[in-house]
Amino acid sequence: MTAAGDSLRLSGRQRALTHLTLLVLAVPLMLPFLSMVSTSLKSDAQVFEAPEPGFAWLTAPWRWRWQNYPDALRTVPLGDYLHNTLLLCATTVAGAVISSAVIAYGFARLEFRGKGAWFFLMLSTMALPSQVTMIPVFALFRWLGWYGTFLPLIVPSFFGVPFYVFLLTQFYRTLPLELAEAARIDGAGEWRIFWQIALPLSKPALVTCALFQFLGTWNDFFGPLLYLNDPSKYTLAYGLQQFMASLYGGKWPQLMAGATLFTLPIVLLFFFAQKTFVRGIATSGSKN
Amino acid sequence: MDRDLLRPLARRVLSLSFVASIVLLFGFVFAVPGPPARRHPERIPVRFWHMWTAEWKDIVDRIVLRFNESQDRYEVVALSVPPSSNVDAKFLLAVAGGDPPDVMAQWKPIIPTWAESHMLRPLDDLMSPAERQRFFDEAYPVAKKIGVYENRLYGLPIGINVWALYYRPEHMREASLDPDKFPESLEELVLLGAKLDKKNAHGDIVRLGFLPGWFGMYAPVFGGGFYDWSARELTLDSPANLRCLTYLVECRKRLGLDVVTRFESAQNAGASVEWPFISGVFSITLDGQWRVEQLAKYAPGLEYRVAPIPPPAGGKRFAGSSDGNFMVVPVTAKRPDGAWEFIKFWSGLSDPERAAAFHTWGGWLPALSSVAKSKTYQDYLARYPSFRVFVDLLSSDNLAAPAPIPYQVFLADRITATDQAAMRGLVTPTDALRDLVRQVDEERQRRRVLHYGEP
Amino acid sequence: MRKELRRQLTGYAFVSPWLVGFVVFTLYPFLASIYFSLTRYDIVTPPRFVGLANYRFLAHDAVMWHALLLTFEYALVAVPLGIVVGVAIALLLNVEVRGVGIYRTIFYLPSIVPTVASTLVFIWILNPQIGLVNDLLGLVGIVGPAWLKEPGWTFVSLVLMSLWGVGGSIVVYLAALKDIPFFLYEAAVIDGAGVLSRLRHVTLPLLSPVIFFNLVMGVISAFQYFTQAYMLQDQLAPEEATRFYAVYLFERSWRYLDMGYASAMAWVLFLVIVVVTGLIFRTHRRWVHYGS
Repeated sequence: MTAAGDSLRLSGRQRALTHLTLLVLAVPLMLPFLSMVSTSLKSDAQVFEAPEPGFAWLTAPWRWRWQNYPDALRTVPLGDYLHNTLLLCATTVAGAVISSAVIAYGFARLEFRGKGAWFFLMLSTMALPSQVTMIPVFALFRWLGWYGTFLPLIVPSFFGVPFYVFLLTQFYRTLPLELAEAARIDGAGEWRIFWQIALPLSKPALVTCALFQFLGTWNDFFGPLLYLNDPSKYTLAYGLQQFMASLYGGKWPQLMAGATLFTLPIVLLFFFAQKTFVRGIATSGSKN
Repeated sequence: MDRDLLRPLARRVLSLSFVASIVLLFGFVFAVPGPPARRHPERIPVRFWHMWTAEWKDIVDRIVLRFNESQDRYEVVALSVPPSSNVDAKFLLAVAGGDPPDVMAQWKPIIPTWAESHMLRPLDDLMSPAERQRFFDEAYPVAKKIGVYENRLYGLPIGINVWALYYRPEHMREASLDPDKFPESLEELVLLGAKLDKKNAHGDIVRLGFLPGWFGMYAPVFGGGFYDWSARELTLDSPANLRCLTYLVECRKRLGLDVVTRFESAQNAGASVEWPFISGVFSITLDGQWRVEQLAKYAPGLEYRVAPIPPPAGGKRFAGSSDGNFMVVPVTAKRPDGAWEFIKFWSGLSDPERAAAFHTWGGWLPALSSVAKSKTYQDYLARYPSFRVFVDLLSSDNLAAPAPIPYQVFLADRITATDQAAMRGLVTPTDALRDLVRQVDEERQRRRVLHYGEP
Repeated sequence: MRKELRRQLTGYAFVSPWLVGFVVFTLYPFLASIYFSLTRYDIVTPPRFVGLANYRFLAHDAVMWHALLLTFEYALVAVPLGIVVGVAIALLLNVEVRGVGIYRTIFYLPSIVPTVASTLVFIWILNPQIGLVNDLLGLVGIVGPAWLKEPGWTFVSLVLMSLWGVGGSIVVYLAALKDIPFFLYEAAVIDGAGVLSRLRHVTLPLLSPVIFFNLVMGVISAFQYFTQAYMLQDQLAPEEATRFYAVYLFERSWRYLDMGYASAMAWVLFLVIVVVTGLIFRTHRRWVHYGS
């Protein structure tokens, strides 16, 4: 039962107070979004005006400078960046989700010596700060000749991501044993059971992991900072940061236009996949 | 209820609009053309990184274009890497990662550090004896100080940067001051500057008359500096340095530390048109010689004059710090030959007259006297008399160059931090300098113990 | 017996991608970085063994201590604050007021905005003279501070930025709240407990596992704080307010090429995290309530 039933015990005044508090808190939360979009539609000069004329701007949509968007696109090759980011997202999502599913099935459903210890070890690697491994990993990739390519950003995801393995392990543990038993009796090997039974059943969890990974790769700034050299390979996150660094603090409208374009797909994705987002995070946190 | 009917409809609308917006986004983004690919794919590519942005980037592109047109063996492909606080990191990553550019234009004090880490290729290796001779004959002393380390040339300067004071006679006249009588001492200048300040009702600065800042630049003016070239040692906490830092902090305090901070943070660093000097936010300001060219381009009617920083009592005339834009070639560059051709082209080692034009476009001071003496450059000086101040500074003995020590980057960072800490009033100037010396000593000791500089 | 062997092998086979990845991307670097921390290494030339010298110098590196202190302060302030605010808002959002769905969306949205974009926007709205925040403060007669130009206010700005993204944890708390069995509340009401009392004796204890998890993860990631501080350096924010431990580590590796020193720094960070996490684990029995 939901604890929302609890609210039945709240007085009307307490509920009104709650509503008011939420409203008051929501406003500053939305400010950055509003500022980002409104600045992206101003001219360079308008940006320096005091608030009063600034708010007047809001009521004059015909003065909105949509031109900032094509300008930003021309200053910065956002098309290339988008292409690169999507490429990375697609490959890392595929790699992370599939490999994590395989590994999770192993932990959840199969027995082998030391399983508990390995699982615990895997979980504890989540506490290892990335700084510890950064330099040797860089040296490794350099030795492989992968510096300047996308490979350092893609390949590691094919070896499973502990967080997703954890999520999926929880999920696979809840699968009814009878399905697997029946398949085994019919002579199916473990791989087939996994591939044909467990995997399809875990679609919702897989989608959740895919969303997380997509978000993570879309957002990733440090990977490109370290490994990408050629500007034609830059991603949106890194490209945008470089754009900001090159501007000396002027050209805010264009920069905000870039930021809006960078944020928009994620926001849209969220609206479309709300339930999955929320469910995924909820499952991760609560079942501990 | 209505709600139950709306839900599937709402979902439909939502998913359709999602698809539509994705399509629009993609179409929009891909429709706008990206950066052009190579124009001469059959030639040997020479990768060139630089830190210029905005319209300086355009100037660089023009120079690169000229180079590509002047010969048909190489094609220089230029990349602008913004001069953020960690641009050196990008270069180092590239060299460390094994995929460096062939040549890079830098202006930060990195030559000794990178040379010692065996990241740079000595340019002597790429020069013919005649070229080497010509460089050492024609380069200004400060250019040699910047580019040479342990007797080998690691960076060829393609422009020296010098700073001086730009001022608006109009503001002076407004305040009943004679613009022809520019103060001879720093103290007088500060007093004059105070007369030109303007504030608004809130107490915010609306126009700043004059505020000396930047410890690194003023230290030589006070007779100090960070390195003694004859004794070959660091002079971080000399009495002159302390006087300088104390004075700078005092000037700032007089206006109010808080007030100044707010004022400064509202100004953008002013690439070209937005330079606050043009809009009159500063009456007297310290800036580099490249502003002359920008003023000519973007504010041709603006009345301004240039003067070197007047020394305080006991200070030095025609003093200041300089640095250079120089070209370096990484050790693992794939086409060092192409890199050298490009460097020769730009610096004027191969053709001073031609290179003089480039220098005038960017408002750069040449490193080679042959370029300065060329007709093109002399004509430029005739057209912009204010530029002469910079050229005079260039040959002054009191112009300091960065110290040629292997931990130059570290030192530059520490000096900046010291400057900031003192300017914010967090530490007294005495303590700030003392901390600086201590940190540098520790670093030197660390390097010794860890066998830096040894194979 | 063969069947047993096959079972073991199959199990290992499934887990092998992780095992291989672990060895290559975690174990080897882990051991290598210990080795590097005992050397002078500039990644271009081979490493040279120097024993514990790096650690000795680290011990009196004022910049490092400052960075560590700053990071510690940040963790100490931002993480608990984030939890308190997160739980508080989750409790509010748990009440079925009108439009609560919209509120949930509004609170969650900021946490999925890419860090680079949100940092950019915050840099913009916190501009002292032309940014939105000071404009609004000016409307009510308050002179806003120089947000990203003074060390104290920069710290506040960074904490505010982290609070802005608290939505991610709110969702977790909401889900956990929904898992609390209703009968517990009923029992409390029957015993005469008011809202606050129910909060103290039912809600919070049952939320404590989730809070604990968020606390640990929050602390671990707070110590590795990098992106926002790094971006702020480009905006010439005061050095002492942006040089977090991870930022200084990055500088040491990629600006000064002190890979050995940086590796030592990384190990110190790791030990600090282990100690702090250990402390949290030791106290957890006292306040974390694992449920029925």
